[in-house]
Amino acid sequence: MSGRLLQLAWRNLWRNRRRTFITMAAIAFGYAMLLFVACLMAGLRWQMIQNGTCLVMSQIQVHAPGYYPNRSLQKTLGGRQGTDVSAMLASIAADRRVNAVAPRVYGYGLLSAAHRSAGVELMGVVSEQETRITTLNSQVVKGTYLNARVPKGVVIGDKLASTIGIELGSEIVLLTQAADGSMGNDVYTVVGILHTGLDAVDRGLVLMSLSSLQDLLHLAPGRIHEVGIKLNHITAASTVAAALEVRLAKSLPVRVMAWPELAPELANYIQFNHGVTVVLFFIFFLVAVIGVMNTMLMAVFERTREFGMLMAIGMRPTQVIGLILTEAAGLAVASLVVGATLGVPLLWYLQVHGLDLGGATGEVVSVAGVVVGHLWYGRQDFSAYSQAAIGLAATALVSALYPAWRAAQLRPTEAMRKV
Amino acid sequence: MTFTNCRHLNVAMVLSLLLLTVAQISHAADDQRAKETVDRVASLFSSKSSIATVKMQIFNEDGQRNLSMQIWSLGDKVLVRITNPQDQAGTAILKEGSDIRYYLPKSNRTVKIPASMAMTSWMGSDFTIDDLVKEPFLTRDYTIGTSFEGKRGDVAVYEYTLTPKPEAAVVWGKIVLQFRQADGVPTWQGYYGEDGKLARELTFSEYKTKSGKVIPTHLVMQSADKAGSHTTIDYEDIAFDVPIVAGTFSLPNMNR
Amino acid sequence: MTGLYLLAKISWRNLWRNPRGTLLTALALGLGLALLLISLGLLDGGHEQTIADGVRFGPGHVVVQARGYQDSSSDELLLPAQVVSTVEGFLQTGNIKKIVRGVSPRLLATGLMSSSASSAGVRIVGVIPKDDRAVSLIPQRMVEGTWLTSDDKLSGVVIGDELARKLELKIGSKAVLMTQALRPPGIQTGTASGDEMQSTLLRVSGIFRTGLQAIDANMIFLPLSAAQALLGVSDGQVTQVALLLVQEGDSPLVARALRKQLTGSPVEVLTWRESLPMLAQILGLDHAFNYIMNGVILAMVGLGILNTILMRVLERRYEFGVSKALGLEPRQLAIMVVGESLALTAISLTLGLVLGLSVQHYFATAGLDLRWIFKAGLPPALVFDPILYSRLSVVRIVWSVSIVFAMATIISFYPALKAARTDLPDALKVL
Repeated sequence: MSGRLLQLAWRNLWRNRRRTFITMAAIAFGYAMLLFVACLMAGLRWQMIQNGTCLVMSQIQVHAPGYYPNRSLQKTLGGRQGTDVSAMLASIAADRRVNAVAPRVYGYGLLSAAHRSAGVELMGVVSEQETRITTLNSQVVKGTYLNARVPKGVVIGDKLASTIGIELGSEIVLLTQAADGSMGNDVYTVVGILHTGLDAVDRGLVLMSLSSLQDLLHLAPGRIHEVGIKLNHITAASTVAAALEVRLAKSLPVRVMAWPELAPELANYIQFNHGVTVVLFFIFFLVAVIGVMNTMLMAVFERTREFGMLMAIGMRPTQVIGLILTEAAGLAVASLVVGATLGVPLLWYLQVHGLDLGGATGEVVSVAGVVVGHLWYGRQDFSAYSQAAIGLAATALVSALYPAWRAAQLRPTEAMRKV
Repeated sequence: MTFTNCRHLNVAMVLSLLLLTVAQISHAADDQRAKETVDRVASLFSSKSSIATVKMQIFNEDGQRNLSMQIWSLGDKVLVRITNPQDQAGTAILKEGSDIRYYLPKSNRTVKIPASMAMTSWMGSDFTIDDLVKEPFLTRDYTIGTSFEGKRGDVAVYEYTLTPKPEAAVVWGKIVLQFRQADGVPTWQGYYGEDGKLARELTFSEYKTKSGKVIPTHLVMQSADKAGSHTTIDYEDIAFDVPIVAGTFSLPNMNR
Repeated sequence: MTGLYLLAKISWRNLWRNPRGTLLTALALGLGLALLLISLGLLDGGHEQTIADGVRFGPGHVVVQARGYQDSSSDELLLPAQVVSTVEGFLQTGNIKKIVRGVSPRLLATGLMSSSASSAGVRIVGVIPKDDRAVSLIPQRMVEGTWLTSDDKLSGVVIGDELARKLELKIGSKAVLMTQALRPPGIQTGTASGDEMQSTLLRVSGIFRTGLQAIDANMIFLPLSAAQALLGVSDGQVTQVALLLVQEGDSPLVARALRKQLTGSPVEVLTWRESLPMLAQILGLDHAFNYIMNGVILAMVGLGILNTILMRVLERRYEFGVSKALGLEPRQLAIMVVGESLALTAISLTLGLVLGLSVQHYFATAGLDLRWIFKAGLPPALVFDPILYSRLSVVRIVWSVSIVFAMATIISFYPALKAARTDLPDALKVL
């Protein structure tokens, strides 16, 4: 029986090609649009996280317990004895979800040049490792990033440079309270000036090599404050952080934090944005649903005569309904496949090349601590894709059901009289 | 921008008593004897100039550190030069009015310190730069009353409680000063927050006669919430009202 | 032309021969338009809100400050007193008054705040309590105590919760603020004795939390006149005058008008895009996002219209065949189809407007609470208001309706063409 139903359904669909195609178009196009939108929205979310973490913060940070947020100089990883830094880095990097790691040292001090001084935050990094987890080096506008040729070179923000009145090549003195309480101080050369658009960085950060900051602070080489981590998949950050903490704690007391904890403002903004996009996606879905429903309803209603005829030659009402549903299901699946086929190249393009919003944005700049560029990349959101597919298919079935049921109620003669 | 580990401490009273300058005794002491004592103490330590050799010992969770320095003062100018340990010898601090400058021998540079940094712990000790070089205006800002008279331990003392005047710009809830009844030298000081909790205390001992005055030469500063941490100051030598060449308090002199 | 009039009547009657079908279709299209209006409102509202949230923690939609302040942030660059009164006077004039929500003159400086526990560098903001309430969001983020009340006296200081935690301050606690008198630029700092620091006793009267570390750990608020006295600033001088507008879209207009009023004075009048370039950039992305989303909805609605009309045309082949056989010209048939589409669109639009505007109105007043979307916990301090308010301007409504109408008209040409080309003998076959 069902075999014949399927055959009949199939042939019905092809008999009126135009009608079939129009209906297919409604579903397929609706689905393709939903894919496009879901991809863009996921991309936006991803981009916000990426931009908020890739500049300085990195996605996950490892500290000694109690170090964050006060950043007490003495609370280095491993306490006062420090730790085997390279072993620790290797251990973290061994996790397959980790992309790259880098050690950091922090301090506060006074930067003094000819006539002025300013309080600054000092950050010591290993440039080859740091550039693999953050992109601050790409924000250097004058001079160069830290390099081995100038071991006591520093990179500072442009606003700091202009406030103090220094430029490339200027000599500066950094004064700080060292770990042993004495007055750590030394002379450094400005090798690079950067511009990020983030006031905290441009006005208050001094970047230097890890070893020279350790020297300034009288810290032994095994003492660092933080390990910055970049992941392969940023959305898993909190899970990976928790797992890392459990694993690392077996050898050393640590506190591992992912970016939502480190930048709650960013997490908040992303949530807000997410909320808006969820509502929006729902609206789009409704629009698509209306399109599908409308088309299906009309498609089935107009075949009332045909159904009447089928019933006149002996098909039972339930069989008619079954036939219609089978057609609808087949149509829905085929349309979704078409829609997906249309969508996939688009999704791929969005993920790899992104949408260029050249006109809207020019310079790289920030809000809620997020730096945003002008290329909008898409990201795959498979749960949204499948939910949309199920939703549309269900809509098609339900919208076919009502008119089918109505038609099945009619007496064959009445049905046939419908024009 | 904030500094970690700032312990604001207006202990300048101590050092000012020792290094001192003209004490500002005012009219507003409530208790007659309190006023007299404070007067006497002030006159005991007031001098136009002084030269001192000081040893500071800092005890904290990192262990113990020693610093030796020489301190010159004339009017409102103060010069501190560190003589030991070797890696910090030559570091100098010059205060003129409210300007504070450091000379850093390692960088061979002179740096002006902004006021915000003056409130941070000096050299990791329980004292701040402010403590070393700024004077409090005790009788200007506080009302003095006698709170105890009798024996503490086996020493007969007078204890005065200083309560901040309503508009005085001081962070303390109260300060308690203890003096020996016999000769009026200070024995102990306590600094309390507004909640009444002791924030820090300063203990005096080893009284010696220098330039004709009896002064305590061993001071211990203890912060209440850093148990086990304290800083001691020993006056190995001090001379009052000695002539000091004016050029001492100058930038060039800092890097000698 | 009678021909046209007749066609119109026929078109109309055609629609109502199948009332259920017509209404269903009109409803569908109407819903599409309603959803378009709703999403436009939510997107515009979200956009406006993000801007407002951003500017209300800072210089407002438009800010007037001394020339060069934006670049240097030098505390000593102050606005002369008469500028402030010119600005305030101007903002009272009829037209401008309606589009301005609040004006807040402020004095900004740095200082050092100490307690018995610790000390920290702070950013001092002197404001007129009532005025700042209309511009800044901070008065609404109090967690303990109250916002500044008195206009003149130094009754208390309002600080952020991060600062309170660091200095171990509670409501009523003592804190000492050390400041340096602000000197107007041009006077040299000689090597002679520097400026005296002044110490002032303050009591904490309010604590706020914004969720923004930079604000919660650094900013303290005092009454403007007290701050002016403290910093040795002569009466009336301030650092900036911040304005909050009803619509951010008016920012360039207001800025231009103010610049004209203040020609000759050494001031800079900036819109938020210039004073907060970072916000401008992120919102550029937001704006682009909105455009794309609107485009997508329009495309979907357009497709819906196309589908609908095409379907109707296809199902009426028999009827068109009869009409043609009876003498109706292809051209006339086409016009009739177009006419029907337009009529249908008109009905749909009416339905859509009614539905859409009422839902939109609900969201504009009660707002859409985004919190039910989040199952996971929200961070303790929310920077961004979780309630989304819809904002739909008349311009937008007219724009949407016109576009949908135009789209419907153009889209109906294809089916109209197909109808006109109805193959006669074929169409009359009754299946």
